[in-house]
Amino acid sequence: MGAIDKKSLFVLIARLVLAGVFVMAALPKIEDPITFTNSVAAFRVIDLDLSAWVALFLPWLELVLGLGILIPDIRRSSATLIGLLLFSFIALHTSAWLRGLDISCGCFGYETGEPGTNYSWLIARNVVLLWFICLVLRQDMRNNPAAPSS
Amino acid sequence: MPRFLREILIITALTILGAAFSLCSGLAPLPWAEQELAPGEIQLIDARALDVLWVDARSKADFDAGHIPEAICLNDEHWETGVVKLMGTWLMSPRTIIVYCGSESCDASKLIADRLRESLPDAEIYSLKGGWNAWVQ
Repeated sequence: MGAIDKKSLFVLIARLVLAGVFVMAALPKIEDPITFTNSVAAFRVIDLDLSAWVALFLPWLELVLGLGILIPDIRRSSATLIGLLLFSFIALHTSAWLRGLDISCGCFGYETGEPGTNYSWLIARNVVLLWFICLVLRQDMRNNPAAPSS
Repeated sequence: MPRFLREILIITALTILGAAFSLCSGLAPLPWAEQELAPGEIQLIDARALDVLWVDARSKADFDAGHIPEAICLNDEHWETGVVKLMGTWLMSPRTIIVYCGSESCDASKLIADRLRESLPDAEIYSLKGGWNAWVQ
């Protein structure tokens, strides 16, 4: 335990939380892509045809990234892409909030059954995850600064 | 090859493999296949089986040129008068409300249906797949 300082331990926990969240978010959506298609379309950013493509690929991307952040060979790119995804989700939720859309988030592939989406909670959750990814990336850069171009 | 690019290629390949598995195993429908029904849509054959209050979301000129019998003209231009008439009719005899516009590609019926769901939260409201074209065919 002496080899791991508190900061490294916290980053490890952040990495595990990110992996868990992305894997848990991906599996129900892989299982039920039709519900997820409707959730994507409900944001009214893309049409239903394109939503079906997003619903096909995005859950698998989330699963690969969730596992990838734990695999040394692809963890830095996975972390970078997770950061981009989280940034997109924050922008999407903010946009839906500003447009007054009363829709299901679809984040974990199922309807919550709540009367309305709590956008402030969703955005806050993604901001925390974005902070986690910044910590993970910073540690990866410090531990292996030459990795991207090697 | 730069390591970052190689990692992205691995992630992309794994994602495509996963998506291919979803398609081959039948978990996911083919995205290029025609969608059966969008959320909140209903097909004419199902609509005909219901006691329906029809709402025409096309322009007044199109409505005057021809509409489903007893339909109420309700669009953004005549929203206030149309919605009052609709509410009066629906409150007298609550039933399923189905909104239609010109064709498969028009969006007005979905938008009007969304607005109506806010005004009449207790009503069952759909938009008609295929719109007026489906009716006249």
